[in-house]
Amino acid sequence: MKNIRVNINGVAYQETVPVRMLLVDFIRETAALTGTHVSCTYEGVCGACTIHLDGEAVKSCLMLAVQADGHEITTVEGLANGKELSALQQAFNDQHGLQCGFCTAGILMNMTEFLDKNPDPTDDEIRHGLVGNLCRCTGYVHIVNAVRAAAKSRLSEA
Amino acid sequence: MASKATPDNGSWMGSRLPRREDLRLVTGQGKYISDIVLPRMAHAVFVRSDYAHAKIVSIDTSAALALPGVISVTTGADIVDEMRSMPQPVLLPNLPAKYPTFYPLSVDKVKFHGAPVALVIARDKYTAEDAVELVEVEYEELPAVVDPNAALEPGAPLVNEDHPDNEIFSMTFTGGETQAEQDENDKAVEEIFNSADAVIKETFRVHRTGLTPMEPRGVLCDWSESDGLTAWITTQRPHIDRLALVDLLDIPAERVRVIAPRDQGGAFGIKAPFYRENVIIAHMARKLGQPVRWIESRYESLMNVGQERDQINTLEVAATKDGKLLALRNRGVADNGTGETGVYWGFLMPFLGAHEIPNTYTWDKADIKLRVAVTNKACLTPSRAFGHFPTRFAIERGIDIIAHKIGMEPADVRRKNLIPELPYTSVTGGYYDSGDFLKVWDNLMSHVDLANFREEQAKARESGRYIGIGFGTGVELSGMASEVLVPMENQPGYGAASIRLDPRGTVQIFGGDAPGGQGHETSVAQVVASAFGIKPEDTLTTTGDTATTPFGAGTIGARGASYFMSAVHNACVELKNKIVRILAHDLGISAQPDDFEFSNGEVVLRSDSSVKKTFREIVERIIMHPINMPDGEVGGLEATVFFEAAKPMICFNADLCIVDVNIDNGEFKITRWVSSEDVGNVINPLIVDGQMQGAIAQGLSNTMFEEFIYDDQGQQLTADFENYKIATAADLPNIDVTYAPTPCPHTPMGTRGIGEGRPSSVPGALCNAICDALKPFGIEITELPVRPNAIWKKIQEARS
Repeated sequence: MKNIRVNINGVAYQETVPVRMLLVDFIRETAALTGTHVSCTYEGVCGACTIHLDGEAVKSCLMLAVQADGHEITTVEGLANGKELSALQQAFNDQHGLQCGFCTAGILMNMTEFLDKNPDPTDDEIRHGLVGNLCRCTGYVHIVNAVRAAAKSRLSEA
Repeated sequence: MASKATPDNGSWMGSRLPRREDLRLVTGQGKYISDIVLPRMAHAVFVRSDYAHAKIVSIDTSAALALPGVISVTTGADIVDEMRSMPQPVLLPNLPAKYPTFYPLSVDKVKFHGAPVALVIARDKYTAEDAVELVEVEYEELPAVVDPNAALEPGAPLVNEDHPDNEIFSMTFTGGETQAEQDENDKAVEEIFNSADAVIKETFRVHRTGLTPMEPRGVLCDWSESDGLTAWITTQRPHIDRLALVDLLDIPAERVRVIAPRDQGGAFGIKAPFYRENVIIAHMARKLGQPVRWIESRYESLMNVGQERDQINTLEVAATKDGKLLALRNRGVADNGTGETGVYWGFLMPFLGAHEIPNTYTWDKADIKLRVAVTNKACLTPSRAFGHFPTRFAIERGIDIIAHKIGMEPADVRRKNLIPELPYTSVTGGYYDSGDFLKVWDNLMSHVDLANFREEQAKARESGRYIGIGFGTGVELSGMASEVLVPMENQPGYGAASIRLDPRGTVQIFGGDAPGGQGHETSVAQVVASAFGIKPEDTLTTTGDTATTPFGAGTIGARGASYFMSAVHNACVELKNKIVRILAHDLGISAQPDDFEFSNGEVVLRSDSSVKKTFREIVERIIMHPINMPDGEVGGLEATVFFEAAKPMICFNADLCIVDVNIDNGEFKITRWVSSEDVGNVINPLIVDGQMQGAIAQGLSNTMFEEFIYDDQGQQLTADFENYKIATAADLPNIDVTYAPTPCPHTPMGTRGIGEGRPSSVPGALCNAICDALKPFGIEITELPVRPNAIWKKIQEARS
């Protein structure tokens, strides 16, 4: 067991956790933030558990909770500004970029970072940016549309 | 389709309304099964078989039980006297088959790699997983049956020892009921083949693949001595699951409540069967007197479910030299796996697949036979395009091969033989109610200049570039009428909805089906808002809870816009009629239902728009102030309506694919994909687009990448997403979805259920395009998946 301090979406958590506890379990079970999902067998392939660690998109199933000690985490619950959705969240709604929604949190986290780094991407760049996230419902076309629309909307606001 | 974010003439029908589900899902507020937590909830993990076929010699659970935090370890031997075995009647189709008898945990022997052997329940999942490692199972290996043809040989080792052989199901789909009628038909087909200008014969193999919802399965059960069982299950058919639990565990029916969580992470058929895991988790919650939860791992999921297709179809086609299709003959063999899955038993999918072989074309005669073999593999589970992904691949390839043989343009052969007029009854007895296949086809062809493409293709070949065009078509079920579903699955086909108006002028809707991402809440809101002239946001839909919703057979077979939405609509009409009767009485006028219009939150007399009431006023009057009522009328505004269509219904689609093939390495790129769809009248075009996009992508991913691989010992080698490859965004093309709809005359809104069978025309279209590109080499693809190495090999063979 180890004592850790982690800040998630602006809230500080000080907890004693088993060393082997995965970060995704800490987020889902200890912090009870269930918007972050698990779809593969903790192998980092599906991308549903993607979060931001100090602003960088990482897969929380590939980290231990103790490795997050002293770090800042943002999950999908922390993306909106109060009740105001982020441009990307809004675009997913407008463009029907999700169906079952199970992969969506991970995609939003990944593509938020992607758009921060590449504010005006081509479709090909968007598609390659998405390879770390599997989606089974949409066929990705509406997801690409949503990311493109969000990029446009972010650029017009900037 | 034109974009409309606001209602047209007061109707939300046909509006591209962004989904109501999304707000909670994009903010992480969805509630999936693994998000539900109960006090004292224990965690279950299965011990699963390492062997495909083996006797269980002994199971030593002592070390696992000794681990602190472990609550119980249960084996098959422990439960045989505590519950009924499967099958139970509610889980049996009305089809003669050699149904295996089985329990939730393997008893005496294991029949596939990944079969459940024991169940560990512990205070937390980490402990449960540790304990699973401590369960010692001694096996004595038996010869594994891994090939369906070998399984059918006399003397093959038996998968299910309660039956004399491995043929779980066989059927002749053509000619009639009696052997004599069938023999006569077969003879007539033979005569056509003997005298036809052109005949072809090919064996088409489609691998084991299917769909994998991003959310695996899960069950959470809670037991109360007074109220019985509450079971949260990832399921498409909570009402059927409820009856199965009642029968298997001998619990009085009124004390079993099944709740399909409102948010389910995809289903695609995988969550439609009744699974053995449900039974043991419910049983243990009752036995231990505490809530028990099992969340399937991806490894377990890929070992157990989502495995479909897996058929070998030997197809013969006879045609005239000018391309008129005359007859088809097909001999199908399907690899069923063990058969241990409630409702479907594996063979129901190849059963429907064989039935659908004639597809969208007219045939004078057909001779279609199917044999299904049990093997030591996971049981087939339904996956969108239920059984007919392999048979559509065969028939659509077969059309191109015969077109090549007679030297005709494959597109022309298709148009010439498409069913020209509906209704139509296929050679297998399939009833196609309505639509216009030629209109859908011509719309598809309007998106490409075929003559121009052929010129371009010829020029490209001169410069060593190989491009090709391919087509595929599919006629799909639009829901399942009771007439079909009772014989097939022993379940009713009707759609059911309850509508409850609130005195505040808002509406609650209850549906017994359980969606997995199809956007039912939004579509229902549009139907109800259009009917009552209110706003979609003034409605709330509940699905999947057997305690509050009317009986429904489940979210299966494209039953949404066909059956469920029709029931919703008809329930609204029933309540509107009552409102008009009482309103007319209050106004002292006589009026027919149509004399009033429901729009903009008001109920207005059409002949005099000054005569009106707000919707809320009249609803509140009827519910809260039921005095001075018309004779025979009582208060309250709630209705439960069951919708049954007069006839089975269909939808129709066609695909066009253009590829660029590199003959040096066999790599191919899809440069264009266009679909043409008859989806009837559309409730929400955004949602319909999404269904089509997703289904076509699933078809492509199945065709090009995904494959469950078993070795010759029956070891499954593809139980993670590294090895079971699903298409990523970078692997797939853009897809143009286009429409040529014909309203369905058998639903009240003219809607059709769509999307279920949609992946099935994809493999044919893609492989036809590749073969068209490689026509100078005379290459015909007959096996899936289609991958660059296989194409390269065929090119090498053709060149040498």
